[in-house]
Amino acid sequence: MLQLRNVHKLYSGIPAVEDVSFTASAGEITGYLGANGSGKSTTMKMITGLINPSSGEILFDGRPVGDDLMAFRQRMGYVPEEPHLYTHLSGLEYLVMVAQLRAMDRRSASERIDGLLRLFGLHGDRDVSLSSYSKGMRQKILLSAALMHNPDLVLLDEPFSGLDVGSSLILRSLIKELAARGKVVLFSSHELETVERICSHIVILHRGKIVADDSIERLRVLMAVPTLEEIFSQLAVEQDSDSISREIADLIHA
Amino acid sequence: MHKRLTMERWQFRVMYRVFLLRVVDLELMPANSDSAQLLGQFAAMFSSVSLLFSLPGLLYLTGRGRLAADYSWTAEHFFIATTFTVIGLLSVLNWDSGFPDRRDILVLGPLPVRAGTLFLAKISALFAVPGLAILGLNIFSGLVWPLLFTSGKGGVLGLLRVWPAYWITVCAAGVFIVCAVLTVQGVAANLLPRQYFLRLSAFLQAGFSCGLLSLYFLEPHLESPAALTAPQNQRLLAWLPSYWFLALFQQLNGSMHPALVPLAKRAWIALAISVVGAGMVLLLSYFRMMPKIVEQPEILPGRRWRWSPNFGNSPKGAITVFCLYTLLRSRQHRMILSFYCGIGLAIVVGYVTFFGGRGRLPGEISIAFLIASILIMVFVILGLRVVAAIPISLAANWILRVTQVRPSSEYHEAARFAWLALGVAPVWLVVAGLFFAIFPWIPVLGHLIILLLLGTLLVEVCVYTFQKVPFATSYLPGRANIHIAFWVGLVLLFQLVSEGARFEGRLLKHPVSYTVVVLFWP
Repeated sequence: MLQLRNVHKLYSGIPAVEDVSFTASAGEITGYLGANGSGKSTTMKMITGLINPSSGEILFDGRPVGDDLMAFRQRMGYVPEEPHLYTHLSGLEYLVMVAQLRAMDRRSASERIDGLLRLFGLHGDRDVSLSSYSKGMRQKILLSAALMHNPDLVLLDEPFSGLDVGSSLILRSLIKELAARGKVVLFSSHELETVERICSHIVILHRGKIVADDSIERLRVLMAVPTLEEIFSQLAVEQDSDSISREIADLIHA
Repeated sequence: MHKRLTMERWQFRVMYRVFLLRVVDLELMPANSDSAQLLGQFAAMFSSVSLLFSLPGLLYLTGRGRLAADYSWTAEHFFIATTFTVIGLLSVLNWDSGFPDRRDILVLGPLPVRAGTLFLAKISALFAVPGLAILGLNIFSGLVWPLLFTSGKGGVLGLLRVWPAYWITVCAAGVFIVCAVLTVQGVAANLLPRQYFLRLSAFLQAGFSCGLLSLYFLEPHLESPAALTAPQNQRLLAWLPSYWFLALFQQLNGSMHPALVPLAKRAWIALAISVVGAGMVLLLSYFRMMPKIVEQPEILPGRRWRWSPNFGNSPKGAITVFCLYTLLRSRQHRMILSFYCGIGLAIVVGYVTFFGGRGRLPGEISIAFLIASILIMVFVILGLRVVAAIPISLAANWILRVTQVRPSSEYHEAARFAWLALGVAPVWLVVAGLFFAIFPWIPVLGHLIILLLLGTLLVEVCVYTFQKVPFATSYLPGRANIHIAFWVGLVLLFQLVSEGARFEGRLLKHPVSYTVVVLFWP
């Protein structure tokens, strides 16, 4: 179980995340939603230990993650929002490097890498430099790197970015399957339809603060709206999308 | 505990390999090239140079067997200074690779890797490349020449002493310059906010490469015992690191002149300061700056003033501004350009220093200055030609293609204008300002017209051989950017420019011939 307790993050005194507390349980897919700049990726980076919270606690299975960060990272798989990769390596070389850094057994790592590349349709391009990969191919490499060591906690920050329809459908089922196998899945996305389909629990962040933390069904009932899109619009969207779109059309038409 | 150590050792090896290949990859070659192969090419290139250097030594050894003291000191200094300069330039090329960067932290941060292991792997990779270069550059010459550097005393023991002395000296010179570069960089990185440091880095890098090349080419020849011990040279020698290490070699070799003791002492002190300084700034960078790098943006979010050059509302304006911003903001392009300009500047300063006043009559420009201004124009255009072929990104070409609504000829015209605006105009303006301040205006005006025509001609050659928009070429994987042709051409260029400048000097004295040449310029 992943728990965030009163987590704050300040950048040069400016709050990016304020008093964030929620729990993501094993076997459950937690959707983490928010507009651009709402603090989603900052929260993800704090969970991974890439940045330290200004205050508050992050616990995994009841233990603060900072107590033994290396052990925590062995149990965690993370797909970042931006595809940070060593582009001078090939897809295969990159995955081998990650497996070696995770101290995975050579034979099982090799089998898993081979299998993941095959299942994601990258086997034919495994020796091609990552700099030549498309956005979707890079995303598949990141997913493979995040999952190949069978993590207990899966952090997915915009995992559908750049994926084609077929791969998106596979990933959608995969996320469900991972949760069904008892993993903690924290999943951030702007694709509300996908979130609505696969998440049992959602947390909505607005300007660094949590404005909703419940199951989708309960939020629908509480807010008396039928879809997640409408829930999100009411809680986290300040602009009138219709009037802005009209203004844009008028501007380019002028 | 044992398991943890084994895992860290394993992680160290994996990261060391990745960083070692990337040290070469990032700055010197397109992303799709084979880094391991390029590393091998570097080693082979340095070894070939070493083999070439060792041949005269072999001839001496098989012939006379001993060198006169003056020649011996000149050769000793040459090898030390060459190693020092090559290692210094490599350190400048590998700028930043010793310090933690955003990508390393974001790629390796979520993995179970300790900051200490990352630090050790990076530093080992950082020192491996200069180490390989020192070994390659001296592998043959370092075996043959030390035999000629023995003082003749000590017999076999003396012979056995000279090899370690030589190798310790070249390694010390290499370590000193690597650590000095790291220290300067690290002090700036630790004192300045990251965004400002990244901006200053470009200037530091250019300054180091120009400084090293200038020092190598312009260093006065003080290798004789008389010159090295002369009191009037001591102040100058105190500022020339290659001579400190020459004294260090003499000390280690057991053949040191007493007057060289202060220089050898200076070498030890400089080595100690640079090593301690580099160690401190690196430790500070890894354990103080690493968390900040993820949090701080690398680009400054806002500016108090905003200025954008305006070259008109056409492809000409867009492409010129695109090229200007690429040169100002792309570290890789800026660094390679500064390397070429550094060579040009060093040669120019050399010419002007040694020949500036010679053969000049009142009312004329000296030939050395004519050569210098032509050379700087040639080097700037050549440097631009080299960097223009490296695309800023894979998508640069596509962006231009999807936005193309005008004929390609307008794009060619725009590229020509960009070459003229960014290559010819700045050099021409600097030369004009300088020459008008030093020489009479009539010959200067004449020379400026010739220089402008020469610049235009060079641009036409570039546009003809490279019919693309600069920095936005299609991607060419697997092609390393070692421009062998450039170095071969450089040798021919000196003779050509020198003859051309003399011809121009004669022309400037004959208005009719000058007018005919200008009018019929190709």
